Amino acid sequence: MDAKDILGLPKNQLPIPQEKKSRPPKEPQRKPDGISREVYALTGGLAPLMPSVDVSQLKRRPPSDEKVTWQWLPFTNSARKDDLQLFHWVRVVNGVPPTGDYAFAKYNKSANIIKYTDEEYEKYLTDPAWTKEETDQLFDLCERFDLRFIVIADRFPSSRTVEELKDRYYSVSRALLSARAPPADITGHPLVKPYNISQEVERKRALSMVLSQTKQQERKDTEVLAEAKRITESRMAAKGPEESELPAVANIGPDNSQRAITGDAVTPSTAMPSSAIAASSTLMADNASTLASLRMLRVYLRTYALDQMVQAASASAGLRTIKRVEQTLQELGVNLKPKVPTKAVCAEHLELRKEILTLLNLQKQLQYKEAEGTSFQDSPYSETPGTPKRAPRGDQDRPFMPDPLGFGGDRFGKRDQKRKAPGRTSEAAQSPSQSKRPRKMKASDI
Amino acid sequence: MSARKQGDGQPEDGGATAGKRLKIAKFSEDPEKKGLSRRLKDAEISLPIVYGTIAFYLGRKASESQSHKWTVYVRGATNEDLSAVIKRVVFQLHPSFNNPTRVMEAPPFELSECGWGEFEIAISLFFHPDVCDKQLDLYHHLKLYPEDESGPQSTKKPVVVESYDEIVFPDPSEAFYARVQNNPAVIVPRMPAGFNISAPVAPENTSERERGDTKDHPLSQWFMNFSEADELLKLAAARQQVQAHIVKLRRQLSVMDGMPQLSKPAPAYE
Repeated sequence: MDAKDILGLPKNQLPIPQEKKSRPPKEPQRKPDGISREVYALTGGLAPLMPSVDVSQLKRRPPSDEKVTWQWLPFTNSARKDDLQLFHWVRVVNGVPPTGDYAFAKYNKSANIIKYTDEEYEKYLTDPAWTKEETDQLFDLCERFDLRFIVIADRFPSSRTVEELKDRYYSVSRALLSARAPPADITGHPLVKPYNISQEVERKRALSMVLSQTKQQERKDTEVLAEAKRITESRMAAKGPEESELPAVANIGPDNSQRAITGDAVTPSTAMPSSAIAASSTLMADNASTLASLRMLRVYLRTYALDQMVQAASASAGLRTIKRVEQTLQELGVNLKPKVPTKAVCAEHLELRKEILTLLNLQKQLQYKEAEGTSFQDSPYSETPGTPKRAPRGDQDRPFMPDPLGFGGDRFGKRDQKRKAPGRTSEAAQSPSQSKRPRKMKASDI
Repeated sequence: MSARKQGDGQPEDGGATAGKRLKIAKFSEDPEKKGLSRRLKDAEISLPIVYGTIAFYLGRKASESQSHKWTVYVRGATNEDLSAVIKRVVFQLHPSFNNPTRVMEAPPFELSECGWGEFEIAISLFFHPDVCDKQLDLYHHLKLYPEDESGPQSTKKPVVVESYDEIVFPDPSEAFYARVQNNPAVIVPRMPAGFNISAPVAPENTSERERGDTKDHPLSQWFMNFSEADELLKLAAARQQVQAHIVKLRRQLSVMDGMPQLSKPAPAYE
């Protein structure tokens, strides 16, 4: 109340809120009977609200002037061909039993099949594959079994497939219809729709194949479908930005299905938002895909193109290998990025990088082979007895250093022809410690 | 007029750019757009350019806020006029400059300013409509202070940083090709014999316009020389070395494979 004073609100409350205020304090004070206080409090202290139900909506009692009894009475079914009388309970109102047919008689529907006379048969319906007898039998069964061809096929005396029976029935009906009502007002008739027997046979065969697919086949199918979906999606993605943004369409080439087009904005100096180019195993395919993506751009800088090609070429190499390539380039006196990137220069640069990669791979191979070889070796042939690990990393990193020896001194002869290493002996004994001291390759060595 | 994609049965959406979306074999019905729509497949037109900055120290005339006078430019690598290909160049300077977006509509595409700070200049190249409808962005760091900081800066010798690059148009339109086939600034591919496109009829009257080439540019004495011959030589030499080394390694490997017995003692390994 002090707060209200401060705020200057009137002390007297409006009547309605006052009522509310007076009521709730009353409720909790009054302890209701029958329910504990806590349970009552669950409802919020008030009596639970009940949806008001219109009393008249409740049980609709029949008008009291009617007298209803239930009686066990006989009945007949018009759907039956005989006069069988059965009994059932009937609700009799005021002594009057219900009239009308048996309620379920109306559901006894049967198919309308056309009947033909012998004349008509002679005139329109003869068929080499079917005798009149068979056709008659067919139609009789159709009538009896309401065109349930499965059953008819079962009952048919001579063995005929369901499709054959269907075919015969439909063609006969169609011929009859067109014969009896020549003008075109039969086109709406459902029977006129042609029944394509070969297609039906094929369809059913396919269905049965699908049904009998093994689990493995199912899995394969879903895989292939998913693959196809991805391919079409990437094609759609390729076509989408193409049509909307890039005006010119370049001829992509054979690897079409595996590629997505790079982003639209041509800002080669910044990183292009490129969709993933599907990894191809060979360098040639890499090149082709990079070339294709470059051609999608309407304009680009040659340095950018070279970057892309270099990246593509070193896609399979790890970071360390790339660093080693760059190191080698530096040792050879070549700029990591050519200063004059003309077409020829860029091509040479790319080729050089690829060759260095090959070189490094070969060195690694050699390393492995030697490691294999020397791990078995404990013969005195080795110039470093007792040191199985002969290929220190530091050595291999310098490709233009003399490679560590595996065996024999005959190799040295060859190597020394190319390299005059100051302070290095040319005998068979060459310790790893010596080979660890690398010497930088100089351009003058060429 | 609608254009059709080669190899694709689908008709393309219409629109102004529809005329360009064609491969070489198909033509659009509108003759005006024919030149744009026919494109040279497997041919590329390249434009060698050099872009960079030259910065002079102002010496006595230098103040705190204006210590250097520098020029940023885009020129042809052989100092030829680039305006046949480039329509305009937009230099985006540091926001501390007035109107940092400078547009050059005519060659020579350059801009001179005074300042004290180094920053990255964004250079956007816009091409003529028949060349390319997308812009190309280059970035260049403005260098004012020389590498060796020994001694006072000279007002005579500027700090020059230039970059050589080539703008490649992979799928040029025939109209573009026709226009520039005899342009000294442009590298055009050799087309097979019998491939003739006549140059457009009305050449520009060069006497009326200012010279667009930079052959006699006042700063031309500082222009760097970019010779691909040097680089090619170096690359060729390097490749030779690498190839020789590869041959050697291959020989070693084959020898190793050839005689595995040398290394293995009688009991092999456990």
